[in-house]
Amino acid sequence: MSGSLVASDLSVRYQTPHGSVYALRHVDIEAHPGEVIGIVGESGCGKSTLVTALANLLPANAHIDGSIRYDGVDLAKLDAHRQRLLRGDEIALVSQDPMTAFNPVLTIGDQLVDFQHHRNDLGRAQKRARIAAMLDRVGIADAERRMRSYPHELSGGMRQRVAIAAALLTDPGLLIADEPTTALDVTMEAQIIHLLRELRREYNGIIIVVSHHLGVIAELCDRVYVMYAGEVVEGGEVDAIFHDARHPYTQALLACDPARFHERLDRLPTIPGSLPSLTQPPPGCVYAPRCNRAFAPCSTIAPPLVTLSASHVARCHAVTR
Amino acid sequence: MSPLLAVEDLSVTFARNGVLSRLLNPVPLPGFNVIDGVTLSLMPNETLGLVGESGSGKTTLARTILGLVRAAAGRIAFEGRDVATPADFRAMRRRSAMMFQDPVASLSPRLRIGALLTEPQVIQGVPMPDRRAAAKALLALVGLPSSLVDRYPHELSGGQARRVGVARALAMKPHLLLADEPTAGLDVSVQGDVLNLIGELKRELGFAAMIVTHNLAMIRHVSDRLAIMYLGRLVETGPTQDVFSAPMHPYTATLIRSEPIPDPRRRSLRPAVTGEIPSVFRRPAGCEFHTRCPIVRERCKTEAPAYRPMGTDRMVRCHFPLQKGGQEREAFSHASVNQRGN
Repeated sequence: MSGSLVASDLSVRYQTPHGSVYALRHVDIEAHPGEVIGIVGESGCGKSTLVTALANLLPANAHIDGSIRYDGVDLAKLDAHRQRLLRGDEIALVSQDPMTAFNPVLTIGDQLVDFQHHRNDLGRAQKRARIAAMLDRVGIADAERRMRSYPHELSGGMRQRVAIAAALLTDPGLLIADEPTTALDVTMEAQIIHLLRELRREYNGIIIVVSHHLGVIAELCDRVYVMYAGEVVEGGEVDAIFHDARHPYTQALLACDPARFHERLDRLPTIPGSLPSLTQPPPGCVYAPRCNRAFAPCSTIAPPLVTLSASHVARCHAVTR
Repeated sequence: MSPLLAVEDLSVTFARNGVLSRLLNPVPLPGFNVIDGVTLSLMPNETLGLVGESGSGKTTLARTILGLVRAAAGRIAFEGRDVATPADFRAMRRRSAMMFQDPVASLSPRLRIGALLTEPQVIQGVPMPDRRAAAKALLALVGLPSSLVDRYPHELSGGQARRVGVARALAMKPHLLLADEPTAGLDVSVQGDVLNLIGELKRELGFAAMIVTHNLAMIRHVSDRLAIMYLGRLVETGPTQDVFSAPMHPYTATLIRSEPIPDPRRRSLRPAVTGEIPSVFRRPAGCEFHTRCPIVRERCKTEAPAYRPMGTDRMVRCHFPLQKGGQEREAFSHASVNQRGN
């Protein structure tokens, strides 16, 4: 099956000894089969919490409000067993660190066989044949030999390719790649971006790419959600986000990326100030204390999600001014 | 003007000193050249960017310059004097400083920030009537509140820890700052902060800096000159603007070309190179980049190119350096697509 993913009014708070941490607040996102969705933001913006919530892997001290519907089914309301089935079968995660994603004492081949545990119809030999074909598809030469390798025998880039192969072996309807190129060198990053682009041609599920790297998002995604301090502050087509950003935070974030300037800058742009406390989020707009366009209501009234066009939204008072 | 730092033909060898290797080979095997014949210089007040992928030896080179790794061959001169013995290196380290890669890990978790900031002076035996006041002055220098003196490293944010790293490095008013990946792991909005701080202090205090990084987008704004490393050797050096606008070595062109562009209208069609950086344990014959070079020719596979000057201020290690406007350059141009889905 491959259906749409819709999170509406999703909030996550962690109970800690120091009080509640409001890690995610009133998040609305949707993703449809065939789309590559980007989630971009800096550390502490809640992108990891969002991904963990989508994969249903939140820790026990997390409390979820709102809903995450995948193919019409509310994920949060499923029992643990059905959630587990869904993760193995429908939702796959490629994590940031390709080293720790694998068990160091088992060969790649053995681990990839285990990834197909849900395929009761296949024997071990058939599973190994599928693995060889998949490794070949993600660009690993000499797949048969690589299946007998241990994770430490592979380079970082190769491990990330294997991780992508592992995710695809489960035939997921939803593939989440959390910072898939952050641990890699720039030449390998370009190759992994290229691989993900190639794969999406034959893959008709949803791909969600989470990254703090604006370049990676611009290269890969169709639609983008920009997050700040636990909220989605702007969402839209990738072109609109990069060329017609409306939220002051998105604009500031884009302005900070040194890759956008080719002439040497004497001072690199920054965003003055720091993230608000997530234990006591401000009553108004979360970005107001750092915003250069803040006016009276920003510090007291939480801004609504303003629809700018059919696919472009921003959570800001100033966009309608 | 004479250079502040001059490195000549520097090599670093890591021995194969495993127990098994020694038992099996009564005649010791030659070691691995991790750094091989590096020659570079740094003028006072200049900022040099040392760029390469992981495994290129850039961190080892920085550590060798400060005497933290022993050189197998070559010469290091600092302020006109040869640096060879451990005593020479100690004297050099009094006037130079290193910012290590992981700012939190390089701060002892059991010491308070105040003690950490004044540790360099204590080690070097600099008299300090009031350690606390000295620490507060350093905090003020890097724009941190003086209340941090009594905090522990784990209580700092990533950006604050970097600032403490900068303050610690500058505590002895060095003439040379070696910064190893000063912005790795920082958000873009904070990265600019740390680099602006280093730039301001450089203007104020006057020191030369060598910034080790793999971040090309950042280094093009903060360095005067660039040195590109591949497998422990320099493959290209030159003024930053020139190297970016007209890279001569195919590897440099590849690095520049591989950077993802934060503009969906300029998506690149294909990766600039395939494969990955070979290991120094198995250096390719001939030109070491020939296994990945998009414009490789027969000669490159057998004959190692010399590191030779190109014009007045550039050096390149390539048989067929890219010419401005030359045909080969097209292999690296950003073939772009405007339609989506590619």
